[in-house]
Amino acid sequence: MWVLAALAAVGDAAAAEADRGALARMIRGEEAALAEIYDRHARLLYSLALRIVRRPSDAEDVIQEVFSQVWRQAGRYELSRGTVAGWLIVLTRSRALDRLRRERGEPTAADLEGASSSVVDPGLTVDLQLVDAEQAARVRAALLALPDAQRVPLELAYYEGLSQSAIAARLETPLGTIKTRMRQALLRLRDALAEQKR
Amino acid sequence: MTTADTSHDAVREQLPAYAIGALDGGERAAVESHLRGCVTCAAELATMRPVASALAQIVPQHDPPAALRARVLAAAAARESAAPRRSPAASSAPWLAAAALLVVSIGLAGYASSLRQRVGRLEQQLAAALLRVEDGERRVNVALRAADDSRNTLSIVAAPDVRRIDLSGQRAAPAAAARAFWSPSRGVVLVAANLPALPPGRTYQLWFVTADAKVNVGLLKPDPTGRVDAIVTNAANLPTPAAVAVTQEPEGGVPQPTGDMYLVGSAH
Repeated sequence: MWVLAALAAVGDAAAAEADRGALARMIRGEEAALAEIYDRHARLLYSLALRIVRRPSDAEDVIQEVFSQVWRQAGRYELSRGTVAGWLIVLTRSRALDRLRRERGEPTAADLEGASSSVVDPGLTVDLQLVDAEQAARVRAALLALPDAQRVPLELAYYEGLSQSAIAARLETPLGTIKTRMRQALLRLRDALAEQKR
Repeated sequence: MTTADTSHDAVREQLPAYAIGALDGGERAAVESHLRGCVTCAAELATMRPVASALAQIVPQHDPPAALRARVLAAAAARESAAPRRSPAASSAPWLAAAALLVVSIGLAGYASSLRQRVGRLEQQLAAALLRVEDGERRVNVALRAADDSRNTLSIVAAPDVRRIDLSGQRAAPAAAARAFWSPSRGVVLVAANLPALPPGRTYQLWFVTADAKVNVGLLKPDPTGRVDAIVTNAANLPTPAAVAVTQEPEGGVPQPTGDMYLVGSAH
């Protein structure tokens, strides 16, 4: 098990470095580099988009938008900050959430921030790295083990983009309670992530 | 938008939600403005960031339809217009022309010459491939070190025997602040902010101070914003400190502190 985890970690690190190389080639206009990034991450990103927007055709549109943005803005991504995969995840999530909000008739992040719409929240891209398969499995198990009262607010926040006050209103629960439960849930997931490998 | 409470405790409560991008604009701005000056919260946030990528990675996995790939790539190709590109055909054309000319004009001799050129080209390709392999190995090593660092940081900060030591800026740097996490079994993590830029030929050095010794822990180089994220994993020989200190020393470090004290904190 330990060896498998180590091998997976090597794979992740090598992929992260390959992503940076591909992004650099994309800046020089190499379409093959876009294909390389697509082949490495499309499944993860499509699955995330589908989890958020639910309809396959919408998820496809999201992915198309994300990669078109990546192709146009590869040069604006700072290679020294975070991983390319982390950047792609943030882009995909915010595009998918925008679509969801538009459907709900709410203003999107783009509407709220005007001209800077395509600029993702920089605080969240920094150092965002993929976790390895074993860590992901532990987080999934920890999420499923949470009581509904903690799990549901967390899922509404991450996968539906609801603010804590919107979650409080929807669940008819005081805002302070929602904040506490979300914090407890996330700390539990963090601890699951940090457990030492045997 | 909710009213933003910017007190340390209020921001600290919000860090998990911030880490997964679940705050609205006003709340997010409050957290970010606090984060710029608070190493405690910055260090705590660092332990929560991987949860955000985990949440993205644990959704049920589905293969995207094959046609989507073609659409994505076609859209990129259509957008790309006047960007100057090197065409692979153009670079090999002169060689092809030269080889063809040689073969036609001087027969066998030309054929031999083209063979030599082919060998030469293959040798070049081999050398280029070897370079790429070396380059790849180097990149893998860099990435492995980065991955190790983040894994080790998490493991130290979350260690059962971890102790936290807050360091405050001294007269040489009143605005500086730092927090050290020391796990006797796993190592030391130091996060510092607002350290003054180093003059040429100088370095910062981290010390564990006991009643009768000052033990070198390692050298620190701040980034241009005065930030340090340092990790020491071979901590087995470090004594239990009464205090932790950072001094400025000549490049390469010294066995015993000689320079000004920039940060210090009591371990009790």
